[in-house]
Amino acid sequence: MGDGIGFWLEYLTNGKHLAWYASVQYTLIAALIGGVCALLFGLGGAALKRSSIGPLRLIGSAYTNMVRGIPDVLFFLFFPLAFEQLIELLASRSVCSAADLAANVGVWPPCPAANWLLTQTEYLILAGVSLGIVYGAFTANVISGALNAVPRGQLEAGRAFGMSNGQVFWNIHVRQMWVYALPGLSNCWLLLIKSTSLLSLLQIVDLVRWADRLGAPNFNRSAGLIHPDWRWAYYLALLAFFIVLTFISEKVFAALTRWASKGMAVGAAT
Amino acid sequence: MKRLAIAAAAAFVVLTGAAYAQTTTRIGTEGAYAPWNFVNADGKLAGFDIDVGNELCKRAGLQCEFIQTAWDTIIPNLNAGNFDIIMAGMSITDERKAAIDFTADYSPPETSSFLSAAATAFDYNALKGIKIGTQGGTIQAAYADANLKDGNTLVSFETADAALADLSAGNVDVVLADNSTNQETVASSGGALKVDGPQIPIGGGVGAGVRKADTELKTKLDTALAEAKADGTIDKLIVQWFPERGPGPYYKK
Repeated sequence: MGDGIGFWLEYLTNGKHLAWYASVQYTLIAALIGGVCALLFGLGGAALKRSSIGPLRLIGSAYTNMVRGIPDVLFFLFFPLAFEQLIELLASRSVCSAADLAANVGVWPPCPAANWLLTQTEYLILAGVSLGIVYGAFTANVISGALNAVPRGQLEAGRAFGMSNGQVFWNIHVRQMWVYALPGLSNCWLLLIKSTSLLSLLQIVDLVRWADRLGAPNFNRSAGLIHPDWRWAYYLALLAFFIVLTFISEKVFAALTRWASKGMAVGAAT
Repeated sequence: MKRLAIAAAAAFVVLTGAAYAQTTTRIGTEGAYAPWNFVNADGKLAGFDIDVGNELCKRAGLQCEFIQTAWDTIIPNLNAGNFDIIMAGMSITDERKAAIDFTADYSPPETSSFLSAAATAFDYNALKGIKIGTQGGTIQAAYADANLKDGNTLVSFETADAALADLSAGNVDVVLADNSTNQETVASSGGALKVDGPQIPIGGGVGAGVRKADTELKTKLDTALAEAKADGTIDKLIVQWFPERGPGPYYKK
């Protein structure tokens, strides 16, 4: 099985392993896209839920309740596929001939020209957006709750100073909301990071998929080092990686909380 | 709202590159079936399928690119247009011919065989009460389902590696796979595994799969393949990747 530190150093830095280390970028990119989308969807969802217009309120609650109830794996599989096929359907109206459409009833895509090839980049963006939609539903609830937690007196004081509704909302309501929202948002962020391990479902050769491949037993001389099932070791490395990521996230959120609590009496309590 | 969605979708397509434009010919392969196709130590696709594919593309004047894709969805993916050719150690069978077209074979028909731990012995004329592993969606899986189901437990694996891992761990008793692949596995196993029992003649050679509508591409590949067979290039690759098969000749005239 080879000996010495030199052998292992070389084995762990061969092209396959370097590709594994490089695949960290997909996890981080998906998490960042997902995080930004989740925050936007969360703010939007919270605004809808608290809207004074009935139908909008309904849309907001439907979004948070439905998406929170659907397993994220299912949503992860559903959304990119549905989006791809929607685009293909729209494209087929302009690029397919009527004869093609008639000949291909019940076949997907409607005609070869309408096929949209999803490469890793597109899948990565779609994965990030899917994560954003799923965790946006959670953040919407967190933000909505945090907005409720800001003492009414603060808002009234703002109005008493002659601030407009917009100023009261952004400078007082939203600014003070963060203190109450951050603990919940940090939960959402950690759940989102964990969900990035689903990337391999979308044909993205991410950390998890590489670990699976590298750890899989190899029984063929031409494919490199012959070894039995080593997946446990690679999965262990993944566990360590995600714990480190969690630890860093905790530090960042602690710093954000300190920023948000500045000058706030309630901040000291959280 | 609908118009906005369409505009956003269009922008997405434009931003993420000319998704509809296509200049290279894409070849789909599994990348987990050594020595046919696998990811080598450098992290690149390698193997018999890859070498044959590159050779054919060179001769046919095509610019080719290999794409790694899961085995169980490889035929639907071809038909959906996600790539143009399948080269994944795929045997030419009537069932598959119903869905796609094949070029002539670039690896001759070969037998399948049972792989088992060196210390075990089974009565292969009347297999009873054993666990038989195959990779799902293969000709061996179909064969086992049709002939070995009674009295035995069939276990289907997503990849060939997973089947071998469970064989090593004792979770299945035998694995049914291509004989050439099995021979390579045995040669690498340091005496832990053996090929046992009868050679089962299933499969009609390995060919490259193309969409039924792509007759032009099929002709190009077949012409290039006939050349590469006649001058001994394919034979050389067979001997290089499957040393256990013997020196041939296989196709050379």
